[in-house]
Amino acid sequence: MNPMAIEVRNLFFSYPDGTEALRGVSLNIEPGSAVALVGGNGAGKSTLLLHLNGYLPVERGEVRIGNTRITRETAALARKAVGMVFQNPDDQLFMPTVAEDVAFGPLNAGWPAAEVQRQVASALARVGMESVRDRPPYRLSAGEKRAVAIATVLAMSPDILVMDEPSSYLDPRARRRLITLLRSFDHTRIVATHDLEMVVEVCSRVIVMDAGRVVADGPVGDVLDNEELMLAHGLERPHILRHHHPH
Amino acid sequence: MHMADALVSPAVGGILWAVSGGLLAFCARDLRKTPRDNLVPLMGVLGAFVFAVQMINFTIPGTGSSGHLGGGLLLAILLGPNPAFLVLASILTVQAFFFADGGLLTLGCNLFNLGFFPAFVAYPLLYRPIAGTSPDPAQIWTASIIAAIAGLQLGAFGVVLETRLSGLSALPFQTFLLVMLPIHLAIGAVEGIATAAIVTFVIKARPTVFASSSEPGTLRPILPGLALAALLAGGAASWFASTHPDGLEWSLARITGNKEMIRPASEIHNQLAHLQERTAFLPDYGFRPAQHETTPAASETSAWPAVNAGTSLAGIVGGIVTLALAGIAGLALKAIPLRHKTAEQSRAGGEHP
Amino acid sequence: MTASWHDLARMEELGRMDTPIHRLDARAKAVVTLAFIGVVMSFPRLTLSALTPLLLYPVFLLSAGRIPARPILKKILVATPFALAVGLFNPLLDRQPVAAIGPVPVSGGWVSLLSILIRFLLTSGAALALVACTGMHRLGAGLERIGVPRIFVSQLLFLHRYLFVISDEAGTMRRAVEIRSGGNRTLRLRGFASLAGQLLIRSMDRADRVYRAMVARGFDGQIRIPRETAFGWRDAAFIAFSLAFFAAARLWNLAEILGRLCTETFP
Repeated sequence: MNPMAIEVRNLFFSYPDGTEALRGVSLNIEPGSAVALVGGNGAGKSTLLLHLNGYLPVERGEVRIGNTRITRETAALARKAVGMVFQNPDDQLFMPTVAEDVAFGPLNAGWPAAEVQRQVASALARVGMESVRDRPPYRLSAGEKRAVAIATVLAMSPDILVMDEPSSYLDPRARRRLITLLRSFDHTRIVATHDLEMVVEVCSRVIVMDAGRVVADGPVGDVLDNEELMLAHGLERPHILRHHHPH
Repeated sequence: MHMADALVSPAVGGILWAVSGGLLAFCARDLRKTPRDNLVPLMGVLGAFVFAVQMINFTIPGTGSSGHLGGGLLLAILLGPNPAFLVLASILTVQAFFFADGGLLTLGCNLFNLGFFPAFVAYPLLYRPIAGTSPDPAQIWTASIIAAIAGLQLGAFGVVLETRLSGLSALPFQTFLLVMLPIHLAIGAVEGIATAAIVTFVIKARPTVFASSSEPGTLRPILPGLALAALLAGGAASWFASTHPDGLEWSLARITGNKEMIRPASEIHNQLAHLQERTAFLPDYGFRPAQHETTPAASETSAWPAVNAGTSLAGIVGGIVTLALAGIAGLALKAIPLRHKTAEQSRAGGEHP
Repeated sequence: MTASWHDLARMEELGRMDTPIHRLDARAKAVVTLAFIGVVMSFPRLTLSALTPLLLYPVFLLSAGRIPARPILKKILVATPFALAVGLFNPLLDRQPVAAIGPVPVSGGWVSLLSILIRFLLTSGAALALVACTGMHRLGAGLERIGVPRIFVSQLLFLHRYLFVISDEAGTMRRAVEIRSGGNRTLRLRGFASLAGQLLIRSMDRADRVYRAMVARGFDGQIRIPRETAFGWRDAAFIAFSLAFFAAARLWNLAEILGRLCTETFP
């Protein structure tokens, strides 16, 4: 693993039905940093994330992972570098057992069987889920599903971790475990979320999106504590910061 | 109308396994070349969807009764014939494996009756010509109802034919058909109504859903024709068989005018015939007594198992003792303590490439 | 409805147990099960006692596989009326006497109906035993290695995986409709169409998201299933013994031989 930088320049995207999802997004993310992407539903967060691994083609503008510009040809490389954890683990865990699911990516990468087994074991150990390796995904709790979904991505040794709403569906204890896990990673991390309390604990920088544009970008304390800015874009100043700065 | 294994002979089951298996291999090979990579998850998820919807009953308008969706035609409309056929095959497989609904030997029969007809006959030959490429609700309703009824009528005909050819049911061909076809007229109408209701709802709510499935069916157009021809030939043959018991022997006897030729009297031949009778792959037809009397007298002894009180008693006693032994064996096996594989062993096993 | 989903999950649990039977190669069990059903159905239509020894096979599989008998028998009983509607006419149609219990003649129709019932018990028991002692995921991997097309196996496993998810979704939606319609359990057509239609749209969206997650992990149109343990001597022995037993049961009426032994030894 080798944390990589992400660079997005003036990115536009419209869906086939005409919805303009991105209207000129630009951002830079340094290697090894943890960045939160916040904004209301429909702000364009998920669309932006789907560009980072080349799932959606770059229509206008530019996306770079490390030194590589994403095109149709380099999309496969981007997928190796960028590990993506989707919002609903039921969509991500599609194989009959946990072990087979974690092995899915490494097998696609064409690694030898022994190496695949090693990766599966170490990824499951990294998220503390060795005990469920032979279970079917539908038998797991929400927290276990989330941890396994992260393991499926870790098994591919990505340089960048991209997560969409990682704390959704989790109860407080599972959420706490997730936060501890996310803090322990050295990867470049991008977390799209509504859970601003988690952002405060996990990320150092926040990017706020609204209507397909970046409307704020800065250190967590500055951006999330700006009540005016937060309200203007349909967000709320997190409680945890109120404790830090009493009225 | 899922056929159970208990009603089908290995010959009929085997032939339809070959037919349906061939179709399945053809569809799979064809889909390997498709540019639609997302087809596999879509097929699986839609299969699960059909499964879930089959469990939901609704009241049939104008009647007091309720019905549910089968889903064959809907899958063909959503996915096109080839993927729909594969999805139907997996639905039938899961039903047979988990619910004993339909059998394994009959998987080929059931796939042919419930998969081939909606996917390769009703959809491409009826639904699409009637509905066209951008149908209005009236076209959808007409096309769905006509196609669903036709598909289920053909399926019911298949069930009757396969059951009759297997010879385990004593129901005469015509009677069975006269019972099955009207019932499946009603079931087909319900299927058509439910399919049309779902399709019109989805087109209104999400017009783009059907954009991807508008490509034509990929099975060569001659295949349905061929299959229909085979079906008609089979129907004619079975009708002939049911009106002329032991049809082949009967006609042979007429041609040669010599009954001795059919059943030579030599000891070796008798032995062979006996052996063949024991290992027959196609159990005897259940002809009614009146017809039975017209068969050559020589076959009288072997057409029915030789029965006398002594063998009956031995059979009954033996059967009961065997069942008891099977039960005891089962209990004894369960009493043997189970040695679990240790964690080390299973890990070592898992690491074998 | 809920009962059958519960059953499905139960079967899946059973399939994940660890017994010598579960450890047998899925291919071996699949082939032997098919052979078993073929042999059962190859007996002439009026066979009764000769079929009974074959019960040993599903009984052996289920008890050595530690599968409780009750849920399996329940499934068979539930499926019986649908499966045998056709055979029920035999006693009415076929009145030729073929046997006698003491002075009472028994018609071919009754014998053949009873024969069909025994066959149903045997064949569905064997099919259910196969899944209960193997599990769908191992069975799928086995089918693929027998040569069943990969695309079929892949989408079969997807179907199985999302059965639970989508039926949960259907259950939730249905409860919502039920609550609003005052607890009426059967839907009108319009309600059914909107429920099924919405479920369909959600399912298609889900398929998109699943595909997206697959692509993100390097999916290139081919699903690779990790190779499990190879075919071993235990599997070969299982096939050989089973087939030998089926052949013996097919060639000789083992039950009648046993019965003759009993009646002749203790007259």
